[in-house]
Amino acid sequence: MLHSFFICFVIFVLSCIFICHLILISSCLQIFKAEFTCLHWFSASAKKLIKRILDPNPATRITFAEVIENEWFNKGYKAPKYENANVSLDDVHAIFDESGSQNLVVERREEELRTPVTMNAFELISTSKGLNLGLLFEKQMGLVKRKTQFTSKCPANEIVTKIEAAAAPIWDLMSRKITTRFLDFLLHLIHSRPLMEIYNVQVLQVAPSLYMVEMRKSGGDTLEFHKFYKNLTTSLKDIVWKTIDEEKEEGTQGTTFSLKNLFS
Amino acid sequence: MGCFHSKVARKFRGHEDPVKLASETAFSVSEVEALFELFKSISSSVVDDGLINKEEFQLALFKNRKKENLFANRIFDMFDVKRKGVIDFGDFVRSLNVFHPNASLEDKIDFTFRLYDMDCTGFIERQEVKQMLIALLCESEMKLGDETIEIILDKTFEDADVNQDGKIDKLEWSDFVNKNPSLLKIMTLPYLRDITTTFPSFIFNSEVDEIVK
Repeated sequence: MLHSFFICFVIFVLSCIFICHLILISSCLQIFKAEFTCLHWFSASAKKLIKRILDPNPATRITFAEVIENEWFNKGYKAPKYENANVSLDDVHAIFDESGSQNLVVERREEELRTPVTMNAFELISTSKGLNLGLLFEKQMGLVKRKTQFTSKCPANEIVTKIEAAAAPIWDLMSRKITTRFLDFLLHLIHSRPLMEIYNVQVLQVAPSLYMVEMRKSGGDTLEFHKFYKNLTTSLKDIVWKTIDEEKEEGTQGTTFSLKNLFS
Repeated sequence: MGCFHSKVARKFRGHEDPVKLASETAFSVSEVEALFELFKSISSSVVDDGLINKEEFQLALFKNRKKENLFANRIFDMFDVKRKGVIDFGDFVRSLNVFHPNASLEDKIDFTFRLYDMDCTGFIERQEVKQMLIALLCESEMKLGDETIEIILDKTFEDADVNQDGKIDKLEWSDFVNKNPSLLKIMTLPYLRDITTTFPSFIFNSEVDEIVK
């Protein structure tokens, strides 16, 4: 029963947004018209929560922490488990804050080594597909890869800067799909799908002027990750030397940074 | 009880008894059964004989039965314990046992040492590493000059070959791996932990669990 009214609500919101779509100009979630009619079979607490979420005024709009605490939301809600435990809610708060277009948070973790660490011969050898027995299982399970790599001859810092620059417009483009973002938020309410995508990018030095860039996702949708990776490598064509498609669990040490984003 | 045994015997006819395999490895009986599903699909892909030959192995790894790969060949040879040119179910389970997340570090270190010691001399020689490195570069279409390759080898042997005799022995390899744990990442397949959920078809076949409980 809960399921059916969610579906109805989703259909209702879709039509609402379709009307609002033409007048939406910003890439952040914004509802200009606050008038809406809740279907009569919504419970009172559901109506209250929805009203607070769809508040056009960012100052009075409910915050994510409050949503989590809401009793109606918590009925049957199971907190999502992220693969990477270091999840900060700052980016999640950002979706409810009107603090500019902070859609992309690039956090550069300066590790003790500022220069990429050189891979030794065996680390390189380990990247061979012939040594990746996980492939035996993936074919049967129809798994999508969780990691992709490419090599580049540009200096490491340049790679990092270029990736950041290339990633930003892609985030914007993808985050402009407002309908899907909002729907996803609703789906999150229903199915506890993770709202956050955490992509880790590592730059490893293979040889004096050859670097391998590995992108790994730890949380979020795999298909979205692959879409993102595809778009990214297209715009990074000038620095990409060779693309390598392999599936691996972890990378080795190097200059790391992670791109965190709230994502559809 | 006799009729349970005959059902199991029928399914695993020609292959090793799953209960026996489970007792010798870190897998439970139901996990061995799940592995059998995987084994069945790989071993029947080219020739349906209940054995995995080289082509079927290549097909499973690369989706291309003709694809030759130095490392895949090494793995195949190591799985083919009895040197028959094919991998039977017992070999399959016992070899995959080393890749289980719970398998001992020592076993994994031993496996990788034997893997890289291609000519089985008991040492990993510089020439062998060079050959493997070149194979890897070929595979990933990375072109590096001979000079660069030598630099990589120099650095590797500097780190690993403590007594500087031009080859890496078992002890040096053990120390080297402990300093660089990422070298063992290929030796752990997390899929093995959830094998029973990824191959659920066995649920409908399984009788063995009842006996063991």
